[in-house]
Amino acid sequence: MKILAVTACPTGIAHTYMAAEALEQAAKKKGHEIKVETRGSVGVENELTEEEIKEADAIILACDTAVPMEKFEGKKLLNVSVSEAIKNADDLIDRAMNANIYKSSNNNTDNDKKTETIKKEPTGVYKHLMNGVSYMIPFVVAGGIAIAISFLFGYDSASNEGTLAYYLMGIGGGAGAFGLMIPVLAGYIAYSIADRPGLAPGMIGGMVATQINAGFLGGLAAGFLAGYIVLAIKKYIKLPKNLQGIMPVLIIPVLGSLATGLLLFYVIGTPVAAINNGMNNFLMGMSGTNAIILGAVLGLMMAIDMGGPINKAAYAFGTATLTAAVGTGSEVMAAVMAAGMTPPLGIALATVLFKHKFTKAEIEAGKACWVLGASFITEGAIPFAAADPIRVIPSLMVGSAVTGALSMAFNATLAVPHGGIFVFFAVENLIGYIISIVAGTFVTAFLVGSLKRNIEELAVEKK
Amino acid sequence: MLINENLILLNSNAKNKNDLIRDLSILANNDGKINNIDEYIEAVLKREREYSTAVGFGVAIPHGKSDSVIEPFLAFARVNDIDWDSPDGKPVDIVFLIGVPEKDAGSLHLKILANLSRKLMKEDFRESLRNISSKQELLEFLNKSELGF
Repeated sequence: MKILAVTACPTGIAHTYMAAEALEQAAKKKGHEIKVETRGSVGVENELTEEEIKEADAIILACDTAVPMEKFEGKKLLNVSVSEAIKNADDLIDRAMNANIYKSSNNNTDNDKKTETIKKEPTGVYKHLMNGVSYMIPFVVAGGIAIAISFLFGYDSASNEGTLAYYLMGIGGGAGAFGLMIPVLAGYIAYSIADRPGLAPGMIGGMVATQINAGFLGGLAAGFLAGYIVLAIKKYIKLPKNLQGIMPVLIIPVLGSLATGLLLFYVIGTPVAAINNGMNNFLMGMSGTNAIILGAVLGLMMAIDMGGPINKAAYAFGTATLTAAVGTGSEVMAAVMAAGMTPPLGIALATVLFKHKFTKAEIEAGKACWVLGASFITEGAIPFAAADPIRVIPSLMVGSAVTGALSMAFNATLAVPHGGIFVFFAVENLIGYIISIVAGTFVTAFLVGSLKRNIEELAVEKK
Repeated sequence: MLINENLILLNSNAKNKNDLIRDLSILANNDGKINNIDEYIEAVLKREREYSTAVGFGVAIPHGKSDSVIEPFLAFARVNDIDWDSPDGKPVDIVFLIGVPEKDAGSLHLKILANLSRKLMKEDFRESLRNISSKQELLEFLNKSELGF
């Protein structure tokens, strides 16, 4: 086999050459022919010729800077970071053999210009987000499954102190895994931005976001706030050398957490409470209007912030109608639960139908989303929404709106406040109810699939 | 000469990477390689934040390109295992600190650093660095290693 590679790193002093060496060693070990072009600060060395590219079986780009791609048109191309090549050169050789063929779409020059400008943008926001999300996923899955199991004993058996269902809820619910979910998200976003010193202010900020009911969007805000506040502290607060030891143990944790926490309470907390209030009033004003429109609105609200102030208002409105409708079941409650089941279900379906839009970890988490969605644990969709809010949240909202409206249109009713498929015995017009949920699930999945970008494109942008 | 005996710490007691980077930078400062130590350290740490310069196998090569560097240099330290966010998760015990002036593209020094980087990927080269017992021996070894000094 004949392999070509290009290595490049931002400073071009060391990693470019280490990666080149690692790839050369790995290829030789496997008996392949290899040539590596290095683009370091010495300039381009060992440049690949057109002839060589024509004859090559696969190309590896291990670059953290923009490199011209058009000459690799039609070749098997593996695009990775420099550190990946240093770390896993052996692996890359194998992966290159099975890499996708590189195609720059329709207009060559345009596309290249575009990728280059995108690559140069030094926005690490996506990287920070993904770091937080990847640490959060296990908490969501573990907590969600524990709660789902507790529902097996009956939707409200967790309220009986001392029972297994009660303990399962303690492990999975707000006092356990679900309570850690937002702090972990915020903490590891801040960690990604500001390294280890960011973790404590980030997690504490996440906890505050939970207290003010700001949901995962509040958690995102907390993480980014904490991260950049800690960076600023590190940059602007200079202590004499003999006092520098107290920076990481005293100054950064205390100042960082106070600044993050107080900002959240004063700046985010007030509008969040106002939103919750406003939404409550808005829904009260809507009673008596067209039921189908109400269902759609409730659907939008359930999916927009999943556990935040708007979702909570919709859910509270649903449970309030239950108390009013003793014994008969409530159409509003039914619509609220159905619309809350759709986001994780739609995501789960999307990870099956559009695998190239998701990371490996997300595809695995997608499997758990089936269970979480079926159990009306809307939080299952949070990691996906947090990773790509602008594309995912609207998809979830539209799907849930469809479900909410349909559930109303079918006059489905529900007599209990939660439990997902475990309480389907308490649903009137179950067939129509299931049709509503399935329809919304498909709408969400297809919207997510068409709006989200391919993972490879994102990897390019990350650089 | 990129490296000399004033730029070597064979048994550093630094507890973390920031301390070690500072210690080595002080050596470079005292040896007249840099004219603004804070600015240089900031350049190194900034690079470090992009992603760790630890490359695995116990080796890290922090480096900074900065106007504060008067002439290119290489400083070496052996240190008791310290955490460096290494991609293989292992602690670091061999560190080369590199300084390059901002406007110094294409020079011989960069070539030497490129060669050094390649050498560090080789196990026997790393082992030799771990076993060397004096500064003189280290300088001789680096000279012998065809880095192009």
